[in-house]
Amino acid sequence: MPPTVPTDPLAAAADAGMSRRSFLRTSAVLATGLAAVAASLKPLFEMEDITSAEQFMQKYYKELTPEDMKKVLARVEREVEKQYGIRPHVRDLKPMDGVEFAYALNLSRCIGCRKCVHACVAENNQSRSPEIQYIRVLKMPHGTFDVEKGDHYYASEKVPEKGFFYMPIQCQQCHNPPCVKVCPVHATWQETDGITVIDYDWCIGCRYCEAACPYWARRFNFTKPSIPADRINPNMSYLGNRPRRQGVMEKCHFCVQRTRDGRYPACLEVCPTGSRKFGNILDPESEISQILRTKRVFMQLKEDVGTNPRFFYYFDV
Amino acid sequence: MHSPNRTPLVLSLLALVFVGLAAAFLTDSWGYPAPRPQIPLVDKALLDPATVRRSYRDLIKAKEDLSDFDCYGCHEKGHPPPLRYDENHKLIVPTEHADVVMGHGTHGRNNNCFNCHNENNLTTLQPRDGRELRLEDSTELCGSCHGPTYRDWDSGAHGRINGYWNTKLGPAVKKDCVNCHNPHSPRFPGRKPLPGPHPLRAPGVSEPTAETTSH
Repeated sequence: MPPTVPTDPLAAAADAGMSRRSFLRTSAVLATGLAAVAASLKPLFEMEDITSAEQFMQKYYKELTPEDMKKVLARVEREVEKQYGIRPHVRDLKPMDGVEFAYALNLSRCIGCRKCVHACVAENNQSRSPEIQYIRVLKMPHGTFDVEKGDHYYASEKVPEKGFFYMPIQCQQCHNPPCVKVCPVHATWQETDGITVIDYDWCIGCRYCEAACPYWARRFNFTKPSIPADRINPNMSYLGNRPRRQGVMEKCHFCVQRTRDGRYPACLEVCPTGSRKFGNILDPESEISQILRTKRVFMQLKEDVGTNPRFFYYFDV
Repeated sequence: MHSPNRTPLVLSLLALVFVGLAAAFLTDSWGYPAPRPQIPLVDKALLDPATVRRSYRDLIKAKEDLSDFDCYGCHEKGHPPPLRYDENHKLIVPTEHADVVMGHGTHGRNNNCFNCHNENNLTTLQPRDGRELRLEDSTELCGSCHGPTYRDWDSGAHGRINGYWNTKLGPAVKKDCVNCHNPHSPRFPGRKPLPGPHPLRAPGVSEPTAETTSH
């Protein structure tokens, strides 16, 4: 025989061996508890950077078909326009055949003016407040390469100062990148042209890569990035400078939106002294090949850790 | 099992705590943390990729006023201007050319105008091999003395190149010597650096220095 279905909750409570008084009391406590839980969840409802269902369901970058990619780029454009009121041009530029990038920086010429730092911020849509900067310029005393002796907060009236040289440090685009090895979700990888990229939609924000990097090149978005709408660079690429969300990593990507288009990176374009040199290392006639072949001294930062950077420092005076 | 008459007490206390918490949450009685100070934006003009100087070639290209280079507006043709030196054999720059600050060569050794300018035709330049060069070809003049630097500039290792690294996709614009160096005092001028990374410390907390950050 099926059990009788009680229609009256009070009767049901009485059936369960509960008096009217204790039922009312329990339900009052329960109701208050529920209200309290709902109130404590209030901050969740105020979250701004909620992942859209479309983004959440998106496949891994390397599994996206060209049609999928088109949809993804359209979604990114839509989201940027909604947030900043600017229609960007988002592309997914692929590495070119027969191209491997390398960077060389002339430590004898760099005057430490930090133009590269801020040109990079402008080009790559980095958060202005709080600040995210891919390049750190270390003011180093002559006679040492110990980066711990460097100072990146210098606020001199005039640079260069006597007795110091300036060493800008950014992502070294290693041949053997430790950041890629530690990523538990494969959200960062090395492309065939040597650039280590990040898929900001795949990153879970665990910051293992930040800990693994010996160059302090990776930056984390602890808060929602803030960029004034009039400072948005609308020329964007999926793996490059499209605006990031809170909770993802970012870093220098040799300006993929420029360099895979054949142009120089923004930090090089703005350098007043011509200390920065960039190009295709597979082309023996490129200036980067000339430098690595003919300049007397060049070094890779922290050579001993075995990362084999594509970023070289050299001297020529 | 605890005694049955304590249960209502515990439950009502819990209820009170929940009510209190709910009220506190709803009215934000803890408040949000004070907003971070806004970091001032960097002036866009400071991010201009233009070179520090403009060459004669740039002025021609921009179709600008070139009357400053009309030497024979003041000088007389066929009469090379005389050079005057003080007792330390330092060149005395005439007041008409007060914008020229001589500082070429260690100890100011390159102190003869006609080491580079052509004394018989002031609108041209003349390297020591006797060639006559137009003002816009000054880079060749510089190269006539600074051989290794000219070689590096020619291969792209010295100096500025803007535009495209891949010349199949667009032009690479190579800058001239005088785009960065003042030919009369060629040392690259120092400048005020752009702001450094914001230390994000509350007001009153001292800014980190090289000593406190180098550990």
